[in-house]
Amino acid sequence: MTFNPTRRQVLLGGASIATVVALGGIHPAFAAEDRSKITVRVEKDLSNLDPANRSGPIDLNVLWSVQQGLISFKPGSTEWELDAAEELEQVSDTEIRFKLRAGLAFTDGYGELTAEDVKFSFERFIKPDSEGKPVTYAKDWSALDHVEVTGPLEGRIILKNPAPALYTIALADGSGRILSKKAFEALGEKAIATKLIGSGPYTLKEWTPREQFVLEINPDYKGPIKPHFLKIVGKPIGEQKTSEIAFQSGEIDFTAIDPENGKALAALPDASVTEIPAIDYVWFGPNIEKAPFDDIRVRQALRYAVDIDAILQGAYSGLYPRANALLAPSLLGYWKDAPVYARDLEKAQALLAEAGHADGFKTKLTIEANARYEAIAQIIQANLAEVGIEVEIEALESAAYWALGENDASKDLELSLIKYNGKFDPGFQTQWFTSAQVGQWNWQRWKNADFDALHEKGGITVDPAEREKIYIEAQKLLDESAAFIWITHNFNAFASRKWLKPGVLPNGNNWLYTAFTEATA
Amino acid sequence: MTALVDLSRRPGGTFALFAVALLCLVAIAAPLIAPYGPNAIAPANRLMDPSLQHWLGTDHLGRDILSRLIFGARVALGISLSVIAISLTAGVILGIASALSPRAVDLAIVGIFDVVTSFPSIILALALVAVFGPGLGNVVLLVSIVFIPHFGRVARAQTIAIRNSPFIEAEKVLGAQSWRVILHHVTPNIIGPIFVLACMDIPVVITIEAGLSFLGLGVRPPLASWGNLLNDGYTYLDQSPWLATFSGLSLILATLGFALLGEALRDTIDPKLRRTL
Repeated sequence: MTFNPTRRQVLLGGASIATVVALGGIHPAFAAEDRSKITVRVEKDLSNLDPANRSGPIDLNVLWSVQQGLISFKPGSTEWELDAAEELEQVSDTEIRFKLRAGLAFTDGYGELTAEDVKFSFERFIKPDSEGKPVTYAKDWSALDHVEVTGPLEGRIILKNPAPALYTIALADGSGRILSKKAFEALGEKAIATKLIGSGPYTLKEWTPREQFVLEINPDYKGPIKPHFLKIVGKPIGEQKTSEIAFQSGEIDFTAIDPENGKALAALPDASVTEIPAIDYVWFGPNIEKAPFDDIRVRQALRYAVDIDAILQGAYSGLYPRANALLAPSLLGYWKDAPVYARDLEKAQALLAEAGHADGFKTKLTIEANARYEAIAQIIQANLAEVGIEVEIEALESAAYWALGENDASKDLELSLIKYNGKFDPGFQTQWFTSAQVGQWNWQRWKNADFDALHEKGGITVDPAEREKIYIEAQKLLDESAAFIWITHNFNAFASRKWLKPGVLPNGNNWLYTAFTEATA
Repeated sequence: MTALVDLSRRPGGTFALFAVALLCLVAIAAPLIAPYGPNAIAPANRLMDPSLQHWLGTDHLGRDILSRLIFGARVALGISLSVIAISLTAGVILGIASALSPRAVDLAIVGIFDVVTSFPSIILALALVAVFGPGLGNVVLLVSIVFIPHFGRVARAQTIAIRNSPFIEAEKVLGAQSWRVILHHVTPNIIGPIFVLACMDIPVVITIEAGLSFLGLGVRPPLASWGNLLNDGYTYLDQSPWLATFSGLSLILATLGFALLGEALRDTIDPKLRRTL
């Protein structure tokens, strides 16, 4: 029997199938959600993929997934686990012995990962670069004396002094990523900032600047970490609001959100919201090399004139905790008795008058352009206007703003509003305020030999109780300078698809793409 | 007075006169009628709905929306009138000079006009402000540059149309100096259509300024500009729709008012259209 449908039967059949599909009776295979891939929003584009000169967490998150370290952070924790190392032993305060796993290979045919690569990668931090300058994250390995290779896969890390923070600041972090010595020598220092060679679970398959980057499973990876997704796409979206709209439209599966919008986003049928108190530090302060801010009375006047609680209410919807010192409550060295400065216009005016500025003065506040920082800046502007200080707000686009950390550009700043990301060891936070950072990331250009000494001492002290005292002392010096007006330690909120469990570390800024998995019901 | 009555009889004329008069009144009397200071922040009152205390609600810093809109009218009108005044003056001078100059000069001026007008106004303004930096002064100056050819072209065409007219020739024969002919005979005879154009360009300037401010390239905070207000409204749209709604409505009212006024003015001034009524 043959079946010869008429034109009418074909049309009728087609229409019936279309109707059933449209009504949801049949879910065609092509309509099913592709859960082998996720798309995440990143705040800004990748910038520098050289572990020693990376520009921040966006770069680091990618480095973690493409390059191995001897150890890596455990998902969702500040503890670490073995990664490229099969064994790692603290032999003494100044010696760490390691043995690498066999058969770990770099991508693009750069051969096996060996102890020579470890030595090369770590010692880069204590040697000047091709221009004779120290690498950006040189401080992370300041305790390193040398790495001794004792076999193809074995070696010893020899330190100049005890360095209790080494595991969290360097070894498990970005500065502990292992480069291919061969690749570095073949490609050169500049090229490795954009060409990522690694031995980790993912490869950087594509990076189209300002558009997206694509991580794909590394088929040759033989390490212990088991990534879940075959592909991870990162899309740079600067504005938080735009990213929330992109999340709602389904364009992205994971994004940091404004905690204020958490409830609304959590109410979406396919979304869940995660909240994590952060350890960042947001503050504003003057360049103390510039008059009139070279007078401590003017700096103290600023501190009394600005209403931090109003900033938290107006710019952070009252949801963020107030910061009274550098270190967040969850960190070692948290100064719980730090002074809480209440607004006192009379004191501020008296201090200004004493400093010879009874009629105020004009100044400029430099911020990174985004809605929140503009709101903070406007509150500061309104607060300072009440004591006669006329503030002009200079909102710089992200790249221009962060370029202030290069070539001594910060010398021209007057007031600046800054947010730095926190890490798990207090020494990471204090390093940016040392004298050596003037011209780079110490935008207040505050120099204090006692602070520098405390920072150094904190870095080599093993006893946690002793370290705690050291970092509290260091924060007291920051407070005495009146150069830093702390605002908040931030509060992180993320929206993700219900089926997605994000691999966020406890500081909120760092994500292990290898730890993003499907959520279990 | 007759002209005003005539204007009000044109389609949309009454609305246009009302909207423009209201805008001018609000802008002039802003400090007297605004219930609060435009920059008075009160974070405890952030994103409040309209109430008896704050008729149009408050923004994310607790500032009174009505007061900021009122002062925003001042900025919108101030910038647009300044831009129109500068570009009209420069455009008329260049247009007349072009029409009355030797061919080479005429071609050079027309060439510059062509280059400037070959870019969409908003794109050119955006590019210029991006290069020279934001701020009230820069916005006025740079947007004025964009609008000079608008007036220059009309002034040139009108001047060419009358430059050989008997009354101009008669003045020349009587020995009148060029500046006298331009000032007393050319300018008064070409200025009518240019005023109509000015009126129709005001809403365009208002939207360009608002657009630049929305993108953070226009008026700097804390000065209240409708573009800034619209941007703030967009940022906090999920939590409070009032700022975006009211700043949008203000823009619509102002641009519609001036556009309709321009059209009504054109109909009134143009004798051909007058005859058809």
